[in-house]
Amino acid sequence: MRNTWIFYRKEMLEMLRGYKLLWIPVVFMILGIMQPISAYYMPEILKMSGDVPPGLLESYTLPGAAEVMAKSLGQYGVIGLLVLALSAMNSFAGEREGGTAELVLARPLTPLAAASAKWLAQLTLLVLSLGLGAAGAGYYITLLIGPLPWSAAVSASALYGLWLMCAVSLTLLFSACLRAPAAAFLSLAAAGGLALLHTLLPRPLRWSPAALPKLSAEALLRQEYTSYAWVFPVLSGIALIVLCFLGASLLFDRNKLPRF
Amino acid sequence: MPPLLQVSGLYKVFHGQSSVDGISFDMEQGRCVALLGPNGAGKTTTLRMLAGLMNPSRGRILFEGNPIGDNYRRQIGYLPQAPAFYNWMTGEEYILLASRLSGMGGKAAAGHAAAVLERMGLQDAARRRIGGYSGGMKQRLGLAQALVHSPRLLLLDEPVSALDPIGRREMMELLRDIGKETSVIFSTHVLHDAEEVCDDIIMMNKGRIAEHGTLTSLRAKYNRPVIILRVEEAEEARLWLETLQTRSFILESRLEADGSLLLKVDDIASARSVILREAAERAIPLLRFEAGTLSLEDVFMEAVGG
Ligand SMILES: Nc1ncnc2c1ncn2[C@@H]1O[C@H](COP(=O)(O)OP(=O)(O)O)[C@@H](O)[C@H]1O
Ligand SMILES: [Mg+2]
Repeated sequence: MRNTWIFYRKEMLEMLRGYKLLWIPVVFMILGIMQPISAYYMPEILKMSGDVPPGLLESYTLPGAAEVMAKSLGQYGVIGLLVLALSAMNSFAGEREGGTAELVLARPLTPLAAASAKWLAQLTLLVLSLGLGAAGAGYYITLLIGPLPWSAAVSASALYGLWLMCAVSLTLLFSACLRAPAAAFLSLAAAGGLALLHTLLPRPLRWSPAALPKLSAEALLRQEYTSYAWVFPVLSGIALIVLCFLGASLLFDRNKLPRF
Repeated sequence: MPPLLQVSGLYKVFHGQSSVDGISFDMEQGRCVALLGPNGAGKTTTLRMLAGLMNPSRGRILFEGNPIGDNYRRQIGYLPQAPAFYNWMTGEEYILLASRLSGMGGKAAAGHAAAVLERMGLQDAARRRIGGYSGGMKQRLGLAQALVHSPRLLLLDEPVSALDPIGRREMMELLRDIGKETSVIFSTHVLHDAEEVCDDIIMMNKGRIAEHGTLTSLRAKYNRPVIILRVEEAEEARLWLETLQTRSFILESRLEADGSLLLKVDDIASARSVILREAAERAIPLLRFEAGTLSLEDVFMEAVGG
């Protein structure tokens, strides 16, 4: 426990000194804010681009606050995911290939404690980035578009965040046994594959973590929606994260040293 | 009281090839042991197993009679062959991290960190980023992190091999002091380094222990009398040297690069008198006559079959 905390602080200091703690939240804020701003200024943008068929501008209606919020969160599904995977890919691989793991793991720091610290650090980064991004989006939505159902926005963000954490966990798992680029590529492919499978077979896979982005949007769009559809995706998402964590601790234990 | 370290039947197999091929040795508290061997002998693999970073394929390591575990990690200091640090940290931050990970409290860690940095001559660089350190400074930082928690056993993998002559000098002086205070195993491929700091030598080759003993016992064991001769360039002298090589008291002869002849003999007294008498009778222009014993370098070459 104590060593997890010590190593967690090292991880956070590393993110701070490498500016990850700055640029990733900034990217998330830009992504979040862009939706309400572009929705609001859409008529202006269209006007400036010239030849707009007559009637189009008149028929443009500003989308609802909840709808824009759902779109903002949807932005994180591709670019947000990519940014997080690229930032997490070196987490284990960098320490192993760089040789820093050989020194710290010769101390009483167990691979399990090191993995816990890395998970907590990535979780901190994700909560911070998503929290600031969603708050920024919410702020501009209420400013430009209209009142936002805040509690729905919070649960929608949490559901989306869980999906992002699943993807980050996959990256960490692969990072514990492969080189960094391979880890990023495989985890993005795995997350993409899951999402694709879910769109192809939504009903048989409605329990899977890949259902989380859709549930997140539904939480905003259908507020009276009271079914417990989120229970299984949330549980399976948490299960996936725990499995990745345990797998990574085990793999890191066996792969402490640079590959030959 | 069991010995500090007992290694028995240690093997490490990579892809069907034994890198460490059944080594066993005991080490007493307070000794300084040099693991001497050419590149590829299996020194790094052995030290990594001793540091608990690699599981042996077979065999056992006992520390004071107990299998190695978390408590053992607290009591060892390890310096790998090419230590890598977090370059974005300062030297001081790294040493603090290291000591805290090894279980020291905040106050004790700060005190020990300052002391060990000073001892390694890094007090002025302590607040600078490690990324800007020279190779010698990094190696001293490596020694500092291995020492900060006052370990009872130090494992150092080729601590001087990658250094320039000045860095080497500094490091060897530090090692000599440290060797007096605590138990050390350090690996090297340079015999001279081993002789300079250690009392015990384990010669390794191809994953096996070729020789193991104290410096003096190894010297005594290989105490083969030798005579080294050198003569001026002259036909007569050369012919005489050739006839010498066939005498019965000569076990082996070898022409050295500088033109001198090294003769391994069984009875130094009679060999000496025969050679000196003949040289005088034939008026051989002798440049050098030396009677002594084989150097440890030769022992090493013989032991590793080079
Ligand atoms: N991780 C590894 N995978 C495969 N072979 C290895 C590995 N580590 C070392 N070896 C092999 O083991 C042998 C001994 O290597 P090493 O212990 O590094 O020797 P030394 O440190 O004495 O130079 C070498 O032949 C090396 O190629
Ligand atoms: Mg080596």
